[in-house]
Amino acid sequence: MPEPNKWHSDVRVFYEKTGMAKYISHLDTVHLFTRAIKRAKIPIWFTEGYNPRAFLTFAMPLSLGTESYCETVDIRLMQEENLDELTARLDSALPPDIHVTKIAVPKLPPQEIAWADYKIIFEGADETFSERAEKILSDDKITVIKKVKKDREKVDKQVDIKDKILKYSINSENGFAVLNITLSSGIQNNINPSLVIGKLTENSSTDADSASIIKLKSYTAEGHEWE
Amino acid sequence: MVKKEVEPLLKKVQKPARYTGGELNSVIKNKDDIKLRYAFCFPDSYEIGMSHLGLKILYSLVNDRQDAWCERVFAPWEDMEKLMRENGIKLYGLESGDPMCDFDLIGFTMQYELSYTNVLNMLDLGGVPVLKKDRHSLTPIIVAGGPCVCNAEPITDFIDIVLPGEGEEVTNELIDLLIEHKEKGSTRLDFLREAAKIEGVYVPEFYEVTYNDDGTVKEYKNSETAPKKVKKRIVSDLNNSHYPEKFVVPFIETVQDRTIGEVFRGCIRGCRFCQAGFIYRPIREKSADTIDRQCHLISDATGYEEVSLCSLSTSDYSQIDKLIPKLFKWALPEKINVALPSLRVDNFSDELLNELKKIRRSGLTFAPEAGTQRLRDAINKNVTEEDVARTASMAWSGGWNSIKLYFMMGLPTETMDDVKGIADLAQKVLDLYYQNPDKPKGKPPTVTVSCASFVPKPFTPFQWEPQDKPESLVEKQKHLLSSVHSRKISVSYHESKTSVLEGALARGDRRLGQVIYKAWQKGSKFDSWDEYFNYDNWLEAFSECGLEPEFYANRVRKYDEVFPWDVMDYGIRKDFLIEENKKAHRSETTPHCRIKCSACGANMLNGGKCDARTK
Ligand code: SF4
Repeated sequence: MPEPNKWHSDVRVFYEKTGMAKYISHLDTVHLFTRAIKRAKIPIWFTEGYNPRAFLTFAMPLSLGTESYCETVDIRLMQEENLDELTARLDSALPPDIHVTKIAVPKLPPQEIAWADYKIIFEGADETFSERAEKILSDDKITVIKKVKKDREKVDKQVDIKDKILKYSINSENGFAVLNITLSSGIQNNINPSLVIGKLTENSSTDADSASIIKLKSYTAEGHEWE
Repeated sequence: MVKKEVEPLLKKVQKPARYTGGELNSVIKNKDDIKLRYAFCFPDSYEIGMSHLGLKILYSLVNDRQDAWCERVFAPWEDMEKLMRENGIKLYGLESGDPMCDFDLIGFTMQYELSYTNVLNMLDLGGVPVLKKDRHSLTPIIVAGGPCVCNAEPITDFIDIVLPGEGEEVTNELIDLLIEHKEKGSTRLDFLREAAKIEGVYVPEFYEVTYNDDGTVKEYKNSETAPKKVKKRIVSDLNNSHYPEKFVVPFIETVQDRTIGEVFRGCIRGCRFCQAGFIYRPIREKSADTIDRQCHLISDATGYEEVSLCSLSTSDYSQIDKLIPKLFKWALPEKINVALPSLRVDNFSDELLNELKKIRRSGLTFAPEAGTQRLRDAINKNVTEEDVARTASMAWSGGWNSIKLYFMMGLPTETMDDVKGIADLAQKVLDLYYQNPDKPKGKPPTVTVSCASFVPKPFTPFQWEPQDKPESLVEKQKHLLSSVHSRKISVSYHESKTSVLEGALARGDRRLGQVIYKAWQKGSKFDSWDEYFNYDNWLEAFSECGLEPEFYANRVRKYDEVFPWDVMDYGIRKDFLIEENKKAHRSETTPHCRIKCSACGANMLNGGKCDARTK
């Protein structure tokens, strides 16, 4: 480990990744931020050794195809900076669909993330969809098929995710079925909303790929907003 | 900007960011403010096309104009193409999302022969009739440029205008002319007549080709306003020609995610097998200050973490010793890596090696191209065994533990002794590791031998030579494998069937247009990708047209044969190439251009100037 006095402080960049930016993979997002920080000429700490890398810590990877209003990346500044000015500078170095909302001192580590709010819009839902969904979600058991690693191979495993859903509601907005749902989140017990979508659309005429997923907010186990 | 109908498709394909547009530094304009829409098409995947320097230059050049908008189009991958066809979605420009058929000028860059079928497929997907004879309106006009168009004959059924040489100036002239004719409401023919008057514009339909009984070309007869021969265009002064100040930064990883500084055009070497070494002449250098400034601007605008210099033989740049420290001066503090590709073995100095050691250490590559001195002399690769040995020793003692050696197989005059020579040279390089007193501890050394099959190309001294047959190449590969005696030497070579097709297309004539069309109809595309290449499709297509690939690839040509590409003037004199060919058969070398000018003729394209000699 390098001596701590080599950098000034860690700050957390809060950003939104929406529109076409949802098609940028997590790894490509890492590259994108590295370059944006360079373009914005923000002096950050680089790892040492033969291949120095910009030191970035993303709280959670975001799945390809998901939009989000609550993404964060921690960066390590080399000197004191005006954080409002830094926000504007970094934001203007990013493509339009990635928008920095604020840069602030981190309050909690990523390990404290426990829940996340999602809004899922089913554009291709049939008439019976809402009723079916309500029935499935209110059941005592909600078994989904999860791909898990076993002996280095991916195998299907049946898991019950009932206790991984904190709350949900199904409404209709602009003629589309909309599911607002709070799912277990975080480094340990993350539930990908696509598992729920798969469950709700299986054996139905509703096209799973037509569902838009929007991540809204992350919470701690106690229900406070994670920042 | 992706259209609403395309969005649902993106969720079902691999790497959707190939198809979204909206990358940093991509250019969006208001359609009402412009007079001409240009689609720059790269007939391969997004990742390959986005790495191409020519695209970056022309994209920025056209978009610098108020009156024109240049967009990018790439060949969609199979999964996307399938969905597009199923849903009736046309191939579109990444900036506007509008289909190709809405554009005025559609330009393809032809970097390799095996991308020809992708041109047809892209036109078809873009809603543009594939065959020139089915297009009657003024727009879209299909143009093609890039190295392959030095013999554009095989693709003239599909292309309206061919632009041999460098595109910077002629593209602007063509855009001006097309805007004028759009406003006048001219016919396609009116426009082509005027276009053919511009230097460096080849309008194939204004030439009538006749053939001899033996299948060779008899004559090209020009008509209308077309000149007898079309002279390639060049940019005279690279310091004052257009170079982008920013690159579009892709969302996904591509082949070259870095700042590219173009150093010079042309090559002083004169390796007889190398088409690029002749068709880009004469030599024109940029000043170290210009290159340094351009690289710094692009690095600032992109945030790229690496700068690389791009030219045919970058270390031949006369100011390389001045340029490298200049780049290091700002790149190192900004944590930007400076990469120097394709180093030559004969001028690889200690200083250069030391500079290289400051930066990342990956495997080192050299290209001796042939195994014996006799064959290296025949191909004019002026590298001696001592050069290779000296460089290998320096590399081993410099801490590298893997060296990759590039060779070619099937070179004219090659014998089995020359093939064995490849194995011997690799062994020598490996032995040097063990003779080196300060060899690094740890990982054992590896020497990788990579063999490509030689394909004779137009405008080279080997344009008359028969290409080696696949059977013979297989024999040679076997011989090479049996000549290698160490497990630390690994050998790889490329599939020789693709080389046959490449060879036939490279030296083909207009009759191959129907072969390409038939192969495409049979489903051929992405021919340069092993997983897509289907040789049987091509053989069927050839035989249905009553033609044979062997006629084009494997036949010995006489010095007085009329070639399909004789209609092009690349500045290189045919007499010079004949002389070089004769010298090859005597295993005689020609000194490189800095030692002595061999009067290749290319300097006449630049008013007699050639930077190989003035420096
Ligand atoms: S004109 Fe002379 S120096 Fe220049 S490229 Fe040709 S042979 Fe070389």
